[in-house]
Amino acid sequence: MAPSSVSEDERYRTSTQYRLWSFTPASLLELRTTTNRSAANRVRDAVRRVREARAASSGNTSEADGGNESRAVSAVPEGEVDCLSVEEELKLVTHFCRQTLQLGDHLQVPTDVKATAVQYIKRFYITNSCMTYDPKTLLKTALFFATKTENHYFRLTKFAEAITATKPEEILASEFLLTQGLRFTFDVRHPFRALEGAVMELQAMANGHIPVGDKLRGMDRRVKEAHGKAREYLKTSALLTDVYFHYTPSQIMMASLLIADRQLISLYLSSKLPPGSGSANAAISAKLMEALDRCAAMLQSMEPGKEQSSEEKKELSALAKKLRKCRNPEKIDLVSLQRAKREGDGEDEKVVKKRKLERERSAKEGEDVFGPTIPK
Amino acid sequence: MYRNGPKSAPDPSSNPLDDICPVCKSNRYLNPSLQFLINPECYHKMCSTCVDRIFTSGPSSCPVPHCGRTLRKKGFRKAFFTDLHVEREVDIRKRVSEVFNRRQDEFETLLDWNNYLEEVEALVFDLVEGSAADKARAEEKLKEYRDAYREEIEGNKRVGKEEVEGERRRERAERDGARARRLAVAREAEEEKADVEKGKRDLLERLANSDGDASAITRQAQKVILKKSSARRNITEEASESNGSANSGLTIRGLKKRVTPVEEKPYDPFGGVDLTPARYTVQESYDNEWLGNAKKDMRHMAGGYSLQEYYARTMFEAFSGLGVFIEEEVADRGQKSDPLVATAAAAEASKGEINLGHKMELDDVF
Repeated sequence: MAPSSVSEDERYRTSTQYRLWSFTPASLLELRTTTNRSAANRVRDAVRRVREARAASSGNTSEADGGNESRAVSAVPEGEVDCLSVEEELKLVTHFCRQTLQLGDHLQVPTDVKATAVQYIKRFYITNSCMTYDPKTLLKTALFFATKTENHYFRLTKFAEAITATKPEEILASEFLLTQGLRFTFDVRHPFRALEGAVMELQAMANGHIPVGDKLRGMDRRVKEAHGKAREYLKTSALLTDVYFHYTPSQIMMASLLIADRQLISLYLSSKLPPGSGSANAAISAKLMEALDRCAAMLQSMEPGKEQSSEEKKELSALAKKLRKCRNPEKIDLVSLQRAKREGDGEDEKVVKKRKLERERSAKEGEDVFGPTIPK
Repeated sequence: MYRNGPKSAPDPSSNPLDDICPVCKSNRYLNPSLQFLINPECYHKMCSTCVDRIFTSGPSSCPVPHCGRTLRKKGFRKAFFTDLHVEREVDIRKRVSEVFNRRQDEFETLLDWNNYLEEVEALVFDLVEGSAADKARAEEKLKEYRDAYREEIEGNKRVGKEEVEGERRRERAERDGARARRLAVAREAEEEKADVEKGKRDLLERLANSDGDASAITRQAQKVILKKSSARRNITEEASESNGSANSGLTIRGLKKRVTPVEEKPYDPFGGVDLTPARYTVQESYDNEWLGNAKKDMRHMAGGYSLQEYYARTMFEAFSGLGVFIEEEVADRGQKSDPLVATAAAAEASKGEINLGHKMELDDVF
């Protein structure tokens, strides 16, 4: 095989983050809208079903129903269901991402784990709605799952103990759900190590170990300051905004450095993409700067140090109250749902059996000379 | 069968002429010690008495009518085969194969080797069955070949000799090994027997001399004997194991000669893909306050941790994807697959089953 060169960009394009979890703002919004709409419809359907069931049961017998049913029934509010809008859902998700970070601080897990957990939540709620699955329980699962994927062992019982009013089963109940929502892609590319690399190189340039003009000479202190500031942005703003969906880790890192010290990074980038050498380079560098500026603006929309204002807090608590009223009543008790699923009750059994039969039949037909019949 | 053992007398019933000397007409019936000799010059059979009589006084012509070849006594020998045609052919073959002693591994292809064998066989046929002209031509060819390739013929002869020599040595070694093993086993058995005897004697003595419990002493003695014999067994097992490993190379026969293997290139996990970065070059070392300790710390270095790996990885991540503009690239493929699949998944999410594209059918968890 002839040696072929594979650039860094090509290698990034092989990642699942690029292939499955990169969107344009428009397509992301479209996805979220669709998710929201279908979830709202389903909530209304579910509420109607539960109400009918309650009417039937109260007509026939007194209220002597089993646990699951009565709990679901009690959660159903009166009147027309007022569902969340896309923006409201997004605000709630961001809020719960923030909470995940706080929970991570409380449990003293490394930044990588927190960041991965937050990205899991964000990815999960692109195709799932808050109204279907409660973010409050899912964030624990996400954090616990991130400890596993980021190789930071945390005992489940200890994990559950450290969080108030949480049982291990509760965390595990939605684990498969989460992985399914992530489409079984657990790799999240973070910009943290990238920042270390860039700063390392900048420092080497400032100390004269890498020969580049004299402009970067002696900027040692500025590099350090920029490093600290950029890190803050990456730890919070980058996680809470949608930059991971729209930009590559390298770009996010450069944008955060750009916020920290514009002059320094402009010099750095121009040394990487020298403007004099050909028009292609110039075009790319112009395009890159534009993208970085947009990314930086996105990052700055959520300043790292800033606390939520009291207005925002009030709005959020109102949203939480609203969410409680428009939860999908069939999906509230995930623990018992999971248990039921595992044990397989009557109806499920039928479905499972049917599916098994189908599988067997298709396997048998697969051995046929002309293959199985084509499904209609 | 033509072949008879040199000692066994030929069967007189097969051919009565076999027992009569064609020169002096003496009969084996009258002279049981009659012995026939031939000379490879003309392969005419005569009895040893005739040979002594005619050729003792020096070279003379063959007494068989119309032969007339000059023979010497020294050339006479006993025929190995009763059929003298076979005897002659074997002699010719021996002579030819001394000259045409190429080996198969000297040829590049099997076809070449077979062609060579064919040629040799044709030559032998000419010598054995051909007319006088054929024979002369073949002899000429044989001589030419011998002169042309003298050195190579000599070399091959040496190699053949060595092989025979090696085979003989190996056989001898095997025989010796087998004998040694047999002896060892016999000695083993003898020693064991002696030990048991000695144990019994000891036991009797102890029973006679000490005033302890008789049954206890017996039991103990039994145990000692058992222990000894089991220990010996262990020793012999170990020895035989080591023997086996040493001899194992000798017992396998017919192994193909090993060709020195061609040196393999180091395995390239990337199949020749060039991963040299375009946007940066990794330096020998970087100043990094976090890594200051790791550079000197034994505990980091002892495990084989390489800072170069870290440098390469961080630098790669810093620039991997810098030139990937998602907004453009994803917009192109957006219509094609992903968001559609994703929306489908979302739409199905709370229905009970998730249908991701057409490839994968997932059960909704709940």
